[in-house]
Amino acid sequence: MKQNRSPLPATLAGIAGPALLLCIVCLGIPRTFAAETAAWSIQVEPVASDEGQLPPDFSMAVYEDLLAQLAKTGQFQQVYRSGDHQADSVPNLLILHMTLLNFERGNQTERAVTTVKGATKVQVHLKVSARDGNTLVEKDVQGTVRLFGENLKATYALAKHIADTLRDASLPPPTAAKAAGQ
Amino acid sequence: MPTVLENTRSPISSPLAAALLLLISSFCASLYAQAADTTTAASGVRAMHVLGLEGVKRNHHGTLSVQPSGLNFDGKGARSAIAVASIQDVFTSQDTRQTGGKVLTVAKMGVPYGGGRVLSLFSHEKVDSLTLEYRDANGALHGAIFSMPLGQAAALKKQLVDLGAHASIPVEMQTDKKDDK
Repeated sequence: MKQNRSPLPATLAGIAGPALLLCIVCLGIPRTFAAETAAWSIQVEPVASDEGQLPPDFSMAVYEDLLAQLAKTGQFQQVYRSGDHQADSVPNLLILHMTLLNFERGNQTERAVTTVKGATKVQVHLKVSARDGNTLVEKDVQGTVRLFGENLKATYALAKHIADTLRDASLPPPTAAKAAGQ
Repeated sequence: MPTVLENTRSPISSPLAAALLLLISSFCASLYAQAADTTTAASGVRAMHVLGLEGVKRNHHGTLSVQPSGLNFDGKGARSAIAVASIQDVFTSQDTRQTGGKVLTVAKMGVPYGGGRVLSLFSHEKVDSLTLEYRDANGALHGAIFSMPLGQAAALKKQLVDLGAHASIPVEMQTDKKDDK
């Protein structure tokens, strides 16, 4: 009897095997990464700036947007607000400080009419350190709104960039960081 | 018997009477507007929650009112309050906002030869914003921002300060700053 089996199942099996393996590897990497960094908790401090340099609504918007973004990433076990007493007893706590470098208040109408002028920019110096003062991340980050959206959208962009920076920073596990600090 | 012709002219038909009626109606309208304004100040201000309130979505519209207990926000399906004692600071500022929403934004993009940009010139309005810094029971710092029609934020700030809320910039100074601009 003639066996007329198509070679398609064999080909499919040949593709599906490595594809499945790739999926497992890809899904496993972030999970391992998340497990490592989730051991850290983080406390966010509001933007430090000279009086009158950054309007209070922008300062609060950066703070609130950043808290929301950090909680959204799931990178940290807990995200604490500034002054939260619950954070006092947390062993692996990172403290996020921001210092204002530059602020330019744009104009939404100007942006919409000219498309090149009127951008709102907020630039901060980001510093993430452990409780013992050991600095783990230090970088200048900027948030800008160039074309569409209200001025406060710049704070959302800044918060998103800070969250991305922390995600890409590959923080060391708490034990390793403590050993390095000693 | 001669018939007596009655004066059938309506008093309104006279130009003087019409002018008088117009004057009275405009006076009544202004009185009504003033009464409506007072009601708004007493019962609350239509405001938009920009961010920061627990349990209220961003850009949610509602009524902002000052009660003896604190600042209340009543929105459709969302309600939140900030106690006066927990308020660390109150700020007011001004900003511009695009009117017309997403519909107008899309419409502007559809206008040929850059006509949408011209439309942008006329589709913005100035708004007041009220920023509050407050702490919860754990001492955690929160910030809430509301946007409202022009001239309403200073009144709300004054009411909060009168109730005992702390404000690093006095109400008068902030009003003066606006006048300078």
